[in-house]
Amino acid sequence: MKSDDPDIRWIEPPKLGLAGKMYLPLFLQGLRITGKHLIAPKVTVNYPDEEPEIANPLIYRGVHRLNRDDQGRVKCVACFLCATACPAHCIDIIGIESPWPDREKYPESFSIDELRCIYCGMCEEACPVDAIELTSLYNLTGRSREEMVFDKEKLLSVYDQTKDAEPMISASMEVTP
Amino acid sequence: MQFTEVTIIAIIKVALLIGGLMTAAAYFVLLERWVAAWVQMRRGPNRVGMPLTKFRLLGLGQPMADGLKFIFKEEYTPAHVDRRLFLLAPITILGAALAAFAVIPFGSVLPAIEGITEPIELVVAPGVDVGMIYVFALSSIAVYGVILGGWASNSKYSFLGALRSSAQLIAYELPLGLGILGVVLATGSLRLEAIMTHQAAHGWYAITQPLGLLVFSVAAFAEAARLPFDLPECDQERVGGYHTEYSGIKLLLFLVAEFLHMITASFLIVILFFGGWHLPWGLTGHEAEVTGWGQAILRVVVLSVKIFLVIFFFMMVRWSWPRFRFDQLMALAWKVMLPLGLLNLVAIAIFLELDHASVGWWQQTFGDAAQGAMIVASWGVTIGAWVTVAVAAPKIADNRPQPDVLR
Repeated sequence: MKSDDPDIRWIEPPKLGLAGKMYLPLFLQGLRITGKHLIAPKVTVNYPDEEPEIANPLIYRGVHRLNRDDQGRVKCVACFLCATACPAHCIDIIGIESPWPDREKYPESFSIDELRCIYCGMCEEACPVDAIELTSLYNLTGRSREEMVFDKEKLLSVYDQTKDAEPMISASMEVTP
Repeated sequence: MQFTEVTIIAIIKVALLIGGLMTAAAYFVLLERWVAAWVQMRRGPNRVGMPLTKFRLLGLGQPMADGLKFIFKEEYTPAHVDRRLFLLAPITILGAALAAFAVIPFGSVLPAIEGITEPIELVVAPGVDVGMIYVFALSSIAVYGVILGGWASNSKYSFLGALRSSAQLIAYELPLGLGILGVVLATGSLRLEAIMTHQAAHGWYAITQPLGLLVFSVAAFAEAARLPFDLPECDQERVGGYHTEYSGIKLLLFLVAEFLHMITASFLIVILFFGGWHLPWGLTGHEAEVTGWGQAILRVVVLSVKIFLVIFFFMMVRWSWPRFRFDQLMALAWKVMLPLGLLNLVAIAIFLELDHASVGWWQQTFGDAAQGAMIVASWGVTIGAWVTVAVAAPKIADNRPQPDVLR
């Protein structure tokens, strides 16, 4: 590439003023900023001693839950949209014929591998019946990989745990056939 | 004073000094991490306290944990190194850094104690008339540790790091020496105690010789390899400089030696320019002797607080100023600091001559305000020289490709 190539844009460096050439005024300026930060309140949360404040739990992407409808049944209709949307392929559903008249299918088993999940929230976006939602539980731990695969019962129990703090987006079950 | 008495007192002082310095270096590491964290609005290490208990003590156990970590880490010696030199390098650098403290006073004098014939001076080797030269000689040996470490490692990274470091350390030794020449001229002695006593009577050299302070402290920053001159390490850019191949306790020796250099530098800045253990207005007495235990302890406290403040300043500067490029570093040493140091020496010599001349032209002209006029004149020289240097000497060598050069 030649230096007179029209694609090269030569940019002049900014000219330094007297203060810039003398260094020390700028140095004092830097020291002032550092000093201001030194006494500023800390932004780090002292985690195990104090819990971080989650600004809006309704949009936080933590552990999943499976919502129940007003009769206490699982809301999911086993449409597989969440499993299709999932970029990490961590949702595993076995759908069978529903025993209830208001839907055709329901999940016999519904498991999410929480270790594989990237907590992107696509499943929540994809769900047509608002059955799967992400809660604000963030400190998820386990002793084995198997333990971290959450089955239907566990996901429903997450709902039972969090339903008061984080109400469902749509409470009623409205499935258009 | 008997020989055994002298020996025992000296051994006690050496033990106190080495123990104190090692502990201080460990806790300054903690302070460094705290300051780093606070400046970045983090909390810093605050969890390690008393072992096996729940007491956290604000993280004051951290230095012990850090030290134990270094001791229990695998100490790996690469197969391609020169083993003797590889071992010698950290010992040299730490030994020289510790030995420099032999003539640096860490306090004034203790009042007479019963059973001991002479008052005890709080310095390992009291009354060394060439104290300054001794400190400078030993601090120059640090270059040997650096270059030995880089050479013995038999690694290109280490060797390049060592070359850069030794070039920097040697370049900045000149302004370091020039910066104190004014102080030595004005005092007429190389003894650190004499320099402090002179300042107690005639005002701090920070006020009367600002240019010397400027040159000396910039050079001291470079000698201690602190930001903005930390090219020997430059954590964010390089593998690790001259101690790339070191691990475990040998690396710890290098790191402790670096902190000791910083502590030496702040001792020298305080003793040479900020009056040592003296407070202004004669609060701690003008004499070298002390009147009682209260004054003796007060002097130790004053000296420690001043040194702490200077070290705190070192740590704040680390987060306030970006690192110099290597050519800028060299340009600053040779094009700026060296002429400024020479100018400082000449200016101080002229002022002293005007002041000391038996005809006393200076005294006659200014009368009672002679001292003030001298201070004003030296500040004028400082500001004038700094502005001249800023405008005249292009500290920034622009190495970027220029259109006309390429054509």
